[in-house]
Amino acid sequence: MEIRGVFIQDTFAEAFGMRAARLVITARTHKWAREAALKLTGFATSVIACKCEAGIERELAPAETPDARPGVSVLFFTMDMDSLGKRLTERIGQTVLTCPTASCFDGLPDAADRLSAGRALRVFGDKLQISKVVGGERYWRIPVMEGECLLQESFGVQKKGVGGGNFLILAESGDSGLAAAEAAVRAIEGMPGVILPFPGGVVRSGSKVGARSYTGMIASTNDAYCPTVRPRTKTELPDGVNAVLEVVLDGLDAPTINGAMRAGIDAACRPGVKAIGAGNYGGKLGPYHFHLRQVMAETAT
Amino acid sequence: MSVRLALRAAIDQSIEIDGLTPDRVATLSEAEIAGLPVITGSRRAVLGDFFTVSGERSARLQIEGDLHRVDGLGAGTAGGELLIEGSAGRRVGAGMTGGWIDVRGDAGDEAGVGMHGGALRVTGDAGHRLGAALPGASKGMTGGEIVVNGSAGADAAARVRRGLIAVGGDVGADAARAIIAGTLVVFGRTGAGPGRGSKRGSIVALGPIDIPSTYEYACTYQPTYVRMLLTYLYRRYGIAAPDGSLDGPYARYCGDAGVPGKGEILAYTPGSR
Repeated sequence: MEIRGVFIQDTFAEAFGMRAARLVITARTHKWAREAALKLTGFATSVIACKCEAGIERELAPAETPDARPGVSVLFFTMDMDSLGKRLTERIGQTVLTCPTASCFDGLPDAADRLSAGRALRVFGDKLQISKVVGGERYWRIPVMEGECLLQESFGVQKKGVGGGNFLILAESGDSGLAAAEAAVRAIEGMPGVILPFPGGVVRSGSKVGARSYTGMIASTNDAYCPTVRPRTKTELPDGVNAVLEVVLDGLDAPTINGAMRAGIDAACRPGVKAIGAGNYGGKLGPYHFHLRQVMAETAT
Repeated sequence: MSVRLALRAAIDQSIEIDGLTPDRVATLSEAEIAGLPVITGSRRAVLGDFFTVSGERSARLQIEGDLHRVDGLGAGTAGGELLIEGSAGRRVGAGMTGGWIDVRGDAGDEAGVGMHGGALRVTGDAGHRLGAALPGASKGMTGGEIVVNGSAGADAAARVRRGLIAVGGDVGADAARAIIAGTLVVFGRTGAGPGRGSKRGSIVALGPIDIPSTYEYACTYQPTYVRMLLTYLYRRYGIAAPDGSLDGPYARYCGDAGVPGKGEILAYTPGSR
């Protein structure tokens, strides 16, 4: 299969089930909502070392937020419910509670599974906090030096979240690879229900499970796709490929990942790109397999 | 498909129909609904004596006519929807635990007393003791939401333990008297002596209010809570806040001094920014 001269490899992205939450962060201005969201989603690229994965889903107009202020929607992923609650409490406490004028609300109101991440934060108020119920939902008003921080108590959990959807851009040069990756990210950004947790949405250090030479490593460099060691390893790189970048996607469900991969891969198929591949572990680790040629079936020429 | 009750003729004496709720008529036939008991003075009668009944087995109940002498409409409602086309008598929605009651007119005294859950909306005015406690009860409303587009009488939200009451117009004297917790929002003027004996309830006053001397001024600020609350009331009940009131500022007063003092009055103070 080829799309505009770019070869689509017959392989699949292997992804995992994750627990997901959506946070709606509001503030007096978009700037401050974004400041809180950037801190909250900072250092959240991979569960391997960050314990969670998170990213900004999109900006929200005042008409879309509970307090009619500008907002930012954030998606937050962990491997299990327990850690989702802990990470949310830590991060909301250190980033939204601290950020001038910011508030945090649940963005998955219809989810049956709930976590009381906001409840643990009430004690910062040292018994001067106030609980209020509006529309059946409990909120906490925590006194802070600026005035009050308003936090929703309960957050919906999507149990069918999917983490680790991905595709590899096999490019002729570093520059053409980066341009293709940026185009892919632009195509995916703002799509509902999906985030790209890595810097600018792009990963250069794809990994394999374990290591060749060190024991005890969880992951090490994906040497089969590293161009500089092509002669020294069992390479997977086609001739003429000098740089590979990966786009990793976390989504609220598998169809969302599927749609975002299709949009991203289509945008990445441009001059200077030789092929599109995907990362997998032989299919034994993750329950979700996104076969590139199936994903792209509708757009292929 | 709904169950419709239409008042046959004007009534000159109060009648009490406790237990006519949408969740109950959802299981009853037309004849069974017409046979529901009605208390009039010392006599017992049935619903069919006063109303024509059409439709059956629907959790959507519609009652039409000048019902201001019909007491206890929708009392104890647990679910479904009750639409009252006309003014209701006393204790509409008393003790309701769920569902939605819409009064397209005025409501008498004690609307929503002892309410536990659900929503009660009155497009006109409400009488005294809105959402307050039933006679002898220690607590008023313990959950749910009451929205009155017009004004309410004295003792609104008295002894409320939890829940939200919003009044689009004015409220009379002694609003939120001995309120335990919960929130009263008044869009118009708040009458004399608000929040006396409040433990940790909130009064949000968008119109004029005389702060009792037993409340202590804390600060003037822009509470996100009020903003969220007013946005919610507008989106869910269509009750619009005055221009500028979302942004505030609000003066916060803590009280009532004689009791734990965890209560508050948030008074909109435009122009004091």
